[in-house]
Amino acid sequence: MQTESIKEAIRTHRAHYCLDCGKCTSVCPISWRDPSFSPRALVESCRLDATGTVLSDERIWECLTCGRCSLVCPSDVQFVRFVRELRSVARHAHQEGHCTHGATIQTWMRMMADPEIKQERLGWLTGDLRTAAKSDTVYFVGCLPYYDVLFRNTGAQGTEIAQGAVRIMNALGIEPMVLSDERCCGHDLLWEGDTDTFGRLAKLNTESLRATGARRVVTTCPECAYTLRTDYQLGMEVVHITELLAARWDKLAECVTAQESEQPLTVTFQDPCRLGRYMGVYDQPRQLLLNLGLQLAEMDHHGSRSICCGTSAWTQCGATAKCIQVDRLREARATGSDLLVTSCVKCQIHFKCAQNDPVLEDGLRIEVRDLVTLVAERLKESAGS
Amino acid sequence: MSMSLTEPRIIVFTCNWSAYSGLESAGAEGLSYPASVHPVRVMCLARLHPGLILRAFELGAAGVLLLGCPPGECHYGSGNSRAAEMFEELQALARLLGVRDEQLQLDWVTTGQGATFANKVREFADRLMLVPAT
Ligand code: SF4
Ligand code: SF4
Repeated sequence: MQTESIKEAIRTHRAHYCLDCGKCTSVCPISWRDPSFSPRALVESCRLDATGTVLSDERIWECLTCGRCSLVCPSDVQFVRFVRELRSVARHAHQEGHCTHGATIQTWMRMMADPEIKQERLGWLTGDLRTAAKSDTVYFVGCLPYYDVLFRNTGAQGTEIAQGAVRIMNALGIEPMVLSDERCCGHDLLWEGDTDTFGRLAKLNTESLRATGARRVVTTCPECAYTLRTDYQLGMEVVHITELLAARWDKLAECVTAQESEQPLTVTFQDPCRLGRYMGVYDQPRQLLLNLGLQLAEMDHHGSRSICCGTSAWTQCGATAKCIQVDRLREARATGSDLLVTSCVKCQIHFKCAQNDPVLEDGLRIEVRDLVTLVAERLKESAGS
Repeated sequence: MSMSLTEPRIIVFTCNWSAYSGLESAGAEGLSYPASVHPVRVMCLARLHPGLILRAFELGAAGVLLLGCPPGECHYGSGNSRAAEMFEELQALARLLGVRDEQLQLDWVTTGQGATFANKVREFADRLMLVPAT
């Protein structure tokens, strides 16, 4: 039964086309730091597995699903999809990864799958922010209010991103709807193989979103955007805020004060995996940064070669994750930038957490910011009022 | 059907020292508290973290009461102040998830005070009965 499911996953995601070339392993950030992990070897173990023992293999949970390997695979093996399905099979065999933070995050996600839950999730909505009961745009906030609580000690900004997003949309003349019964999009559960809970979350969110009658959903989290776009059947346009802002720059330009000083700030951009490799949104955030009058200094690995922030789905965060984060922060510092800008709250949390290392602290110092808050703080007083 | 099946379940975490000694004294003195209360002993409340307590709610607990050592009397010195910090974060998350304050409380019991233990637990349970079923 389980071996059948593994075979099925191999067929569906082209793992049987693997040539054993090892190109994937050579570009995998986990393999760089932990030689016991190799996507090639995992594919091989699955293909040779006759009894289902591979399902208890720890390596199944190590992959960041960052998608770097897929870029170089000559046989078009869909490794991240393969690993996602493998996790779902493993979960049915009562295996799971090590959830970081005592599974706090997964627990609130599962609690939100209860149709009866009555959340109090809109406390961040201050009086100056304009939302509407009816609008062609819904702002999907995601778990930002929750991350704000859990990661306040890292200095990460959570609700500031949500507030900034509404403020910018207001400046553009958009008064979005926000939903009091919105739930986690389920991305992390889905990629950890918990397809059952994901299905429940997706159903509830789809009902609420469709009931709004809106045409478009805007998110500030790339993982929400990708999930709503790809794994839901919403029938609505889904855009990440960087796409919206880049498309509306003509109007936005009138509302922001671009950097005018003689020495503009230099920034470098961390491409979130879902925004970049998964959705192909590389240029829009960069264009926005340049439009703001900032100077852009790219890291060695950027764009499609960018490197993940080191942890995915709040699972298996440990020494390897920390090494990847430290490497990445050093790479960002090497650009000489004043700011490391990203567009995903999770990248920000992971980097800020790594920066709290008491030994390495000085060598990792660089301010990490979300692009939304960077735009929002440059809005003119009069904008949108 | 027995009462314990129809009443909502209440989980009471006690630290091993003051609060658990209160529970033992309550037992020795023959003091009763509601059958819906399920005590769970941990060495120190600082050992708990938000995820573990949210999990109790996920599994259907009607309320969670954390009972530790009185201020200044923590067996380990700083455990109860750490627990208070943890509780602040937990409460903020629980509120977002729609858990009401009367469903989640942090309190303390002095060593050996069986009556205090039984009273605090009973009052917590009584208040919960007033929470409308969701
Ligand atoms: S998705 Fe990323 S972490 Fe996973 S095997 Fe491929 S390169 Fe490595
Ligand atoms: S790059 Fe593709 S073909 Fe080569 S080992 Fe990896 S999965 Fe197999």
